[in-house]
Amino acid sequence: MFDVGNVLMMVERVIAILGTTIYLIFAVVIVKQVTTMTHQIKDKFNGILIAFSYLHLLFSLLLALLSWTLL
Amino acid sequence: MNRSGNLDTVAPDDQITESLKTEKKITELGEPVDPELRQKVYDILGHTKHALSAFLVRPHVFSFKERDEEEEILVALRPHWMTNVGWILIAIAMTLGPTLIKSLALINGLPAKYQILGGLFWYLTTFAFAFEKFLSWYFDVYIITDERVVDIDFNNLLNKKFSEAKLSMIQDVTSRQIGMGQTMFNYGQVLIQTAAEINELRFDNIPNPDKIVKVLQLMREEEDMEAIKGRTK
Repeated sequence: MFDVGNVLMMVERVIAILGTTIYLIFAVVIVKQVTTMTHQIKDKFNGILIAFSYLHLLFSLLLALLSWTLL
Repeated sequence: MNRSGNLDTVAPDDQITESLKTEKKITELGEPVDPELRQKVYDILGHTKHALSAFLVRPHVFSFKERDEEEEILVALRPHWMTNVGWILIAIAMTLGPTLIKSLALINGLPAKYQILGGLFWYLTTFAFAFEKFLSWYFDVYIITDERVVDIDFNNLLNKKFSEAKLSMIQDVTSRQIGMGQTMFNYGQVLIQTAAEINELRFDNIPNPDKIVKVLQLMREEEDMEAIKGRTK
Protein backbone atom coordinates (compact mmCIF):
# COMPACT_ATOMS: atom_id res chain seq x y z
CA MET A 1 0.00 0.00 0.00
CA PHE A 2 1.29 3.48 -0.92
CA ASP A 3 1.94 5.45 2.29
CA VAL A 4 2.42 9.23 1.95
CA GLY A 5 4.04 9.46 5.41
CA ASN A 6 6.71 6.92 4.47
CA VAL A 7 7.47 8.68 1.19
CA LEU A 8 7.80 12.03 3.00
CA MET A 9 10.15 10.48 5.56
CA MET A 10 12.23 9.01 2.74
CA VAL A 11 12.39 12.39 0.95
CA GLU A 12 13.43 14.11 4.21
CA ARG A 13 16.13 11.51 4.75
CA VAL A 14 17.49 11.85 1.22
CA ILE A 15 17.52 15.67 1.45
CA ALA A 16 19.28 15.59 4.84
CA ILE A 17 21.92 13.08 3.73
CA LEU A 18 22.51 14.89 0.46
CA GLY A 19 22.66 18.25 2.23
CA THR A 20 25.19 17.14 4.84
CA THR A 21 27.32 15.44 2.17
CA ILE A 22 27.40 18.61 0.07
CA TYR A 23 28.23 20.56 3.23
CA LEU A 24 31.12 18.18 3.92
CA ILE A 25 32.50 18.89 0.42
CA PHE A 26 32.10 22.61 1.11
CA ALA A 27 34.10 22.20 4.35
CA VAL A 28 36.91 20.50 2.40
CA VAL A 29 36.89 23.43 -0.05
CA ILE A 30 37.20 25.87 2.86
CA VAL A 31 40.27 23.98 4.17
CA LYS A 32 41.79 24.12 0.69
CA GLN A 33 40.94 27.80 0.41
CA VAL A 34 42.50 28.70 3.77
CA THR A 35 45.62 26.68 2.94
CA THR A 36 45.99 28.50 -0.41
CA MET A 37 45.39 31.91 1.15
CA THR A 38 47.82 31.38 4.01
CA HIS A 39 50.38 30.19 1.50
CA GLN A 40 50.00 33.48 -0.41
CA ILE A 41 49.88 35.82 2.56
CA LYS A 42 51.74 35.14 5.75
CA ASP A 43 50.52 36.76 8.93
CA LYS A 44 50.31 36.20 12.66
CA PHE A 45 46.91 34.51 12.75
CA ASN A 46 47.34 32.09 9.87
CA GLY A 47 47.82 29.12 12.21
CA ILE A 48 44.57 29.88 14.05
CA LEU A 49 42.67 30.18 10.76
CA ILE A 50 43.97 26.83 9.54
CA ALA A 51 43.00 25.27 12.89
CA PHE A 52 39.48 26.73 12.60
CA SER A 53 39.06 25.41 9.05
CA TYR A 54 40.03 21.89 10.17
CA LEU A 55 37.75 22.15 13.21
CA HIS A 56 34.92 23.12 10.88
CA LEU A 57 35.73 20.14 8.66
CA LEU A 58 35.68 17.85 11.70
CA PHE A 59 32.24 19.08 12.78
CA SER A 60 30.95 18.76 9.21
CA LEU A 61 32.16 15.17 9.13
CA LEU A 62 30.42 14.57 12.46
CA LEU A 63 27.22 16.05 11.06
CA ALA A 64 27.43 13.88 7.95
CA LEU A 65 28.07 10.75 10.03
CA LEU A 66 25.15 11.60 12.33
CA SER A 67 22.81 12.11 9.40
CA TRP A 68 23.91 8.83 7.80
CA THR A 69 23.47 6.85 11.02
CA LEU A 70 20.55 8.58 12.79
CA LEU A 71 18.22 9.07 9.85
CA MET B 1 99.91 25.48 19.90
CA ASN B 2 97.09 26.36 22.28
CA ARG B 3 94.54 28.72 20.77
CA SER B 4 92.65 31.30 22.75
CA GLY B 5 88.91 30.81 23.20
CA ASN B 6 88.26 34.31 21.95
CA LEU B 7 89.99 34.53 18.57
CA ASP B 8 89.17 38.23 18.17
CA THR B 9 91.53 39.10 21.01
CA VAL B 10 94.37 37.25 19.25
CA ALA B 11 93.69 38.26 15.68
CA PRO B 12 90.90 40.79 15.47
CA ASP B 13 89.30 40.42 12.07
CA ASP B 14 86.02 42.14 12.73
CA GLN B 15 86.68 45.09 10.46
CA ILE B 16 87.60 42.97 7.46
CA THR B 17 84.58 40.68 7.89
CA GLU B 18 82.30 43.66 8.40
CA SER B 19 83.50 45.50 5.31
CA LEU B 20 83.09 42.35 3.22
CA LYS B 21 79.57 41.92 4.54
CA THR B 22 78.66 45.53 3.76
CA GLU B 23 80.07 45.26 0.26
CA LYS B 24 78.08 42.08 -0.36
CA LYS B 25 74.92 43.71 0.96
CA ILE B 26 75.23 46.72 -1.34
CA THR B 27 75.88 44.62 -4.43
CA GLU B 28 72.95 42.33 -3.61
CA LEU B 29 70.46 45.02 -2.76
CA GLY B 30 71.46 47.66 -5.27
CA GLU B 31 71.01 51.28 -4.19
CA PRO B 32 70.28 51.40 -0.43
CA VAL B 33 66.97 53.07 0.47
CA ASP B 34 67.36 56.56 1.84
CA PRO B 35 66.90 56.23 5.62
CA GLU B 36 65.71 59.84 5.87
CA LEU B 37 62.87 59.18 3.46
CA ARG B 38 61.99 55.99 5.28
CA GLN B 39 61.79 57.92 8.57
CA LYS B 40 59.57 60.55 6.93
CA VAL B 41 57.24 57.81 5.69
CA TYR B 42 57.00 56.21 9.12
CA ASP B 43 56.40 59.62 10.71
CA ILE B 44 53.39 60.09 8.43
CA LEU B 45 52.05 56.56 8.94
CA GLY B 46 52.42 56.42 12.73
CA HIS B 47 52.19 53.13 14.63
CA THR B 48 50.12 49.99 14.55
CA LYS B 49 48.20 49.35 17.75
CA HIS B 50 47.44 45.63 17.39
CA ALA B 51 48.17 42.72 15.08
CA LEU B 52 44.57 42.53 13.75
CA SER B 53 44.65 46.16 12.74
CA ALA B 54 43.57 47.19 9.25
CA PHE B 55 46.59 49.51 9.12
CA LEU B 56 49.78 47.54 9.72
CA VAL B 57 52.78 49.83 9.69
CA ARG B 58 56.13 48.09 9.14
CA PRO B 59 54.70 44.66 9.96
CA HIS B 60 57.24 42.15 11.27
CA VAL B 61 55.33 38.93 10.70
CA PHE B 62 53.34 39.91 7.60
CA SER B 63 54.63 38.84 4.19
CA PHE B 64 53.36 37.79 0.76
CA LYS B 65 54.46 35.12 -1.69
CA GLU B 66 55.62 37.45 -4.49
CA ARG B 67 57.75 39.57 -2.18
CA ASP B 68 61.42 39.93 -3.06
CA GLU B 69 63.88 39.07 -0.33
CA GLU B 70 65.17 42.62 0.04
CA GLU B 71 61.80 44.31 -0.37
CA GLU B 72 60.60 46.10 2.75
CA ILE B 73 56.89 46.33 3.50
CA LEU B 74 56.13 49.87 4.63
CA VAL B 75 52.45 49.35 5.29
CA ALA B 76 49.90 46.59 4.80
CA LEU B 77 46.26 47.61 4.62
CA ARG B 78 42.95 45.86 4.95
CA PRO B 79 39.45 47.33 4.64
CA HIS B 80 38.42 49.36 7.70
CA TRP B 81 36.82 47.34 10.53
CA MET B 82 33.56 49.25 10.01
CA THR B 83 33.07 47.23 6.80
CA ASN B 84 32.72 44.14 9.02
CA VAL B 85 29.87 45.45 11.18
CA GLY B 86 27.12 44.30 8.79
CA TRP B 87 28.09 40.62 8.66
CA ILE B 88 28.92 40.54 12.39
CA LEU B 89 25.36 41.68 13.19
CA ILE B 90 23.93 39.08 10.78
CA ALA B 91 26.09 36.36 12.40
CA ILE B 92 24.87 37.37 15.88
CA ALA B 93 21.25 37.26 14.67
CA MET B 94 21.85 33.83 13.12
CA THR B 95 23.37 32.55 16.39
CA LEU B 96 20.34 33.71 18.33
CA GLY B 97 17.94 32.29 15.72
CA PRO B 98 17.48 28.75 17.14
CA THR B 99 16.85 30.11 20.67
CA LEU B 100 14.11 32.34 19.28
CA ILE B 101 12.57 29.49 17.27
CA LYS B 102 12.63 27.23 20.36
CA SER B 103 11.05 29.88 22.56
CA LEU B 104 8.25 30.29 20.02
CA ALA B 105 7.76 26.49 20.00
CA LEU B 106 7.92 26.38 16.20
CA ILE B 107 9.80 23.10 15.84
CA ASN B 108 8.48 21.16 18.81
CA GLY B 109 6.57 18.84 16.50
CA LEU B 110 9.76 17.57 14.84
CA PRO B 111 11.46 14.37 16.09
CA ALA B 112 14.43 14.96 18.46
CA LYS B 113 17.04 13.63 16.00
CA TYR B 114 15.91 16.14 13.38
CA GLN B 115 16.10 18.94 15.95
CA ILE B 116 19.65 17.95 16.94
CA LEU B 117 20.84 17.62 13.35
CA GLY B 118 19.04 20.82 12.32
CA GLY B 119 20.61 22.74 15.21
CA LEU B 120 24.10 21.45 14.45
CA PHE B 121 23.66 22.23 10.75
CA TRP B 122 22.42 25.73 11.54
CA TYR B 123 25.34 26.58 13.84
CA LEU B 124 27.86 25.17 11.36
CA THR B 125 26.34 27.26 8.58
CA THR B 126 26.49 30.34 10.81
CA PHE B 127 30.13 29.63 11.58
CA ALA B 128 30.94 29.07 7.90
CA PHE B 129 29.20 32.32 6.96
CA ALA B 130 31.15 34.34 9.57
CA PHE B 131 34.40 32.54 8.77
CA GLU B 132 34.07 33.20 5.03
CA LYS B 133 33.35 36.88 5.67
CA PHE B 134 36.33 37.13 8.00
CA LEU B 135 38.59 35.42 5.45
CA SER B 136 37.44 37.82 2.72
CA TRP B 137 38.39 40.72 4.96
CA TYR B 138 41.62 39.24 6.32
CA PHE B 139 43.03 38.25 2.93
CA ASP B 140 41.91 41.35 1.04
CA VAL B 141 45.18 43.24 1.41
CA TYR B 142 46.82 46.26 -0.10
CA ILE B 143 50.54 46.57 0.39
CA ILE B 144 52.96 49.43 -0.06
CA THR B 145 56.59 48.39 -0.16
CA ASP B 146 59.70 50.44 -0.85
CA GLU B 147 59.49 49.31 -4.50
CA ARG B 148 55.83 48.95 -5.47
CA VAL B 149 52.17 48.97 -4.53
CA VAL B 150 50.39 45.63 -4.46
CA ASP B 151 46.72 44.65 -4.38
CA ILE B 152 45.95 41.04 -3.46
CA ASP B 153 42.33 40.05 -3.64
CA PHE B 154 40.55 36.72 -3.31
CA ASN B 155 37.27 37.32 -5.12
CA ASN B 156 35.54 34.09 -4.23
CA LEU B 157 36.50 30.68 -2.92
CA LEU B 158 39.61 29.97 -4.98
CA ASN B 159 39.98 32.97 -7.25
CA LYS B 160 43.05 35.09 -6.58
CA LYS B 161 43.82 38.45 -8.15
CA PHE B 162 47.29 39.98 -7.85
CA SER B 163 47.91 43.49 -9.19
CA GLU B 164 51.03 45.56 -8.73
CA ALA B 165 52.59 48.79 -9.93
CA LYS B 166 56.15 50.00 -9.46
CA LEU B 167 56.40 53.26 -7.53
CA SER B 168 58.13 54.83 -10.54
CA MET B 169 55.05 54.00 -12.66
CA ILE B 170 52.63 55.93 -10.44
CA GLN B 171 51.27 59.01 -12.19
CA ASP B 172 48.51 60.27 -9.97
CA VAL B 173 47.07 59.44 -6.56
CA THR B 174 43.68 60.58 -5.31
CA SER B 175 41.60 59.73 -2.27
CA ARG B 176 37.85 59.74 -1.90
CA GLN B 177 35.63 59.57 1.18
CA ILE B 178 31.92 59.28 0.55
CA GLY B 179 29.16 59.44 3.12
CA MET B 180 28.91 60.02 6.84
CA GLY B 181 30.35 56.66 7.92
CA GLN B 182 33.56 57.06 5.91
CA THR B 183 34.04 60.64 7.07
CA MET B 184 33.32 59.83 10.73
CA PHE B 185 35.56 56.77 10.90
CA ASN B 186 38.17 58.14 8.48
CA TYR B 187 38.25 55.51 5.80
CA GLY B 188 37.75 55.58 2.06
CA GLN B 189 39.10 54.86 -1.37
CA VAL B 190 42.52 55.58 -2.84
CA LEU B 191 42.84 55.62 -6.62
CA ILE B 192 46.30 55.13 -8.05
CA GLN B 193 46.73 55.96 -11.73
CA THR B 194 49.75 54.25 -13.24
CA ALA B 195 51.67 54.09 -16.49
CA ALA B 196 51.86 50.34 -16.14
CA GLU B 197 49.79 47.71 -17.94
CA ILE B 198 47.16 47.89 -15.22
CA ASN B 199 46.44 51.59 -15.43
CA GLU B 200 44.52 51.91 -12.20
CA LEU B 201 44.84 50.38 -8.76
CA ARG B 202 42.01 50.93 -6.34
CA PHE B 203 42.35 50.56 -2.59
CA ASP B 204 38.79 50.26 -1.27
CA ASN B 205 37.63 51.18 2.24
CA ILE B 206 41.12 51.60 3.65
CA PRO B 207 41.74 53.51 6.88
CA ASN B 208 43.53 56.88 6.75
CA PRO B 209 43.42 57.37 2.95
CA ASP B 210 44.96 60.85 3.28
CA LYS B 211 48.08 59.37 4.91
CA ILE B 212 48.41 56.82 2.11
CA VAL B 213 48.13 59.55 -0.52
CA LYS B 214 50.85 61.57 1.26
CA VAL B 215 53.17 58.57 1.50
CA LEU B 216 52.68 57.61 -2.14
CA GLN B 217 53.31 61.18 -3.27
CA LEU B 218 56.48 61.31 -1.18
CA MET B 219 57.71 58.00 -2.56
CA ARG B 220 56.88 59.04 -6.11
CA GLU B 221 58.78 62.33 -5.73
CA GLU B 222 61.76 60.37 -4.45
CA GLU B 223 61.56 58.05 -7.47
CA ASP B 224 61.41 61.08 -9.78
CA MET B 225 64.46 62.60 -8.08
CA GLU B 226 66.35 59.34 -8.45
CA ALA B 227 65.44 59.22 -12.14
CA ILE B 228 66.71 62.81 -12.66
CA LYS B 229 69.92 62.00 -10.77
CA GLY B 230 70.39 58.93 -12.93
CA ARG B 231 70.02 61.02 -16.09
CA THR B 232 72.51 63.73 -14.99
CA LYS B 233 75.09 61.10 -14.04
